[in-house]
Amino acid sequence: MQITLVQGILLAIMAFVAGIDNQTEAFFWFRPMTTAFLAGLILGDVQLGCKCAAIAELAFAGLLTVGGTVPPDALVAGVMTTVIAYTNPSLTPEAALGVSFGFALIMQYVGVGTNTFYAYFHKAMDKKAEAGDVKGLWRIAIGSLSIKAAIYAIVVFLSAYAMQDVMQTVVNVFPEWIVNGLSVAGGIMPAVGLAQLLVVMMNNSNMPYLFIGFVAATTIQMGNILPLAIVGAAIAVLSYMNKGSEGGQSDGI
Amino acid sequence: MASRGKLTKKDIDTLAVLSIFEQVPFSYERMQAGGYTCCMGYVLDKIYADDPEQKADALKRNMTFINTEPHMATFMLGLQASLEEAGEDRDLIMNIRNGLFGPFAGLGDAIFWFTLLPVTATICCSMAAEGNPLGPIIYIVLWFLLAILPRIWFCRLGYKLGTKAVDLIADNAPAIAKAAGILGVLVVGGLIPSYVAFAFNEGLVLIGGVPVQGIFDSVLPNILQLGIVLLFWFLMKKKNVSSVTLIGIILVASVVLTYFNILAY
Repeated sequence: MQITLVQGILLAIMAFVAGIDNQTEAFFWFRPMTTAFLAGLILGDVQLGCKCAAIAELAFAGLLTVGGTVPPDALVAGVMTTVIAYTNPSLTPEAALGVSFGFALIMQYVGVGTNTFYAYFHKAMDKKAEAGDVKGLWRIAIGSLSIKAAIYAIVVFLSAYAMQDVMQTVVNVFPEWIVNGLSVAGGIMPAVGLAQLLVVMMNNSNMPYLFIGFVAATTIQMGNILPLAIVGAAIAVLSYMNKGSEGGQSDGI
Repeated sequence: MASRGKLTKKDIDTLAVLSIFEQVPFSYERMQAGGYTCCMGYVLDKIYADDPEQKADALKRNMTFINTEPHMATFMLGLQASLEEAGEDRDLIMNIRNGLFGPFAGLGDAIFWFTLLPVTATICCSMAAEGNPLGPIIYIVLWFLLAILPRIWFCRLGYKLGTKAVDLIADNAPAIAKAAGILGVLVVGGLIPSYVAFAFNEGLVLIGGVPVQGIFDSVLPNILQLGIVLLFWFLMKKKNVSSVTLIGIILVASVVLTYFNILAY
């Protein structure tokens, strides 16, 4: 199916707003759960948007910008999963996710670029700070935010609307075995994200909890992660309180 | 505490909302220095309305490296606003700022990124996977509230505690970080079975017709998914393999191994 110019512009506006959130990381609306769903809404296929949102959100589960790293871009992956599944009905949402990784990787390098380039914005802000110019500081900050959001809007417009015929041609010549392979890769991908979380969080003393969590989730039927998170929070509170009694002081926060 | 009353409750709440922009413009060099200074600028404008030199000095010194978790940054902003309003020594204020952002980054990551995000996302994913738009809609509304309300609460708390917060945090930060680590690692362990999909092709059998996947399933279901996560963790942590390299290898290996009917799709 074709994407109209109006739909392309609406997708770009959505990417602009989500792009602002991608920089501020305030509302988590840059996640595929939001961008893939809203893309489905714009394209008039809410069901498809929901399915793509679930699949892309899970695939990008652990790929988080923790500690200043830039992972493959979740925002663009979410939008493009829905867009590709919509324009190529022969592809399953899983395979569309596999194709969308190409766009996510391109945008990842754009993110690395802005994170590098924005050092110059900080230099400009130094001057405003020395002059005590708070309004000037905000102008530079909002300017940098607008630039990044505009890049998202342009990338999404080009990928979703301007290049859709090229995309369809490319996807059509994809042999089935490549599409199947991409689906498999989409299933393995969350392991990278989860492993990345562990690189940051896991140490020798809390490693056993990984196995407790894993075995509990494998053997106990749970609809979602909430029961386990409550158990984890309870253990965390116990650990915190034990520490307090050893130190003699047990001030709660 | 001297000279209270330059900031109103409304000012502190406005600071909390402005802290949405704490991470703009993020750069590798000084990370969140610019955005953090912008937020501090809002209160410094009010505290030092008659003292441009003090204001400029405070702004300049805030333009140094800082990297914390954006939702938790509001606590630090509230605390720092309280210290500036009380006319505390600038060196002391900067030491507190530079000493606290690390612990708060760990705490905020554990709460917002490793717990609240996966919990809300998995619940909403299970609805969305069935084509139910309520899943994404609940997610969008819920995160609007989760982005705003904790900010206001943290900012008021930091402002109220003032200097008292420093001892409180210094005493508790290691224990809180340890507790947060337990919660985060446990949740990640629990996410592995539902988040990661990996299985050998049913047709892949050993001599005698024993299916390879069946062997792993009879040992412990999902053990291959756990093994893959630990392997990736090992490669990234101990061998310094980047996530982009890993993803490239996964894409190529998946296509090849699926083509030869080794992996199931």
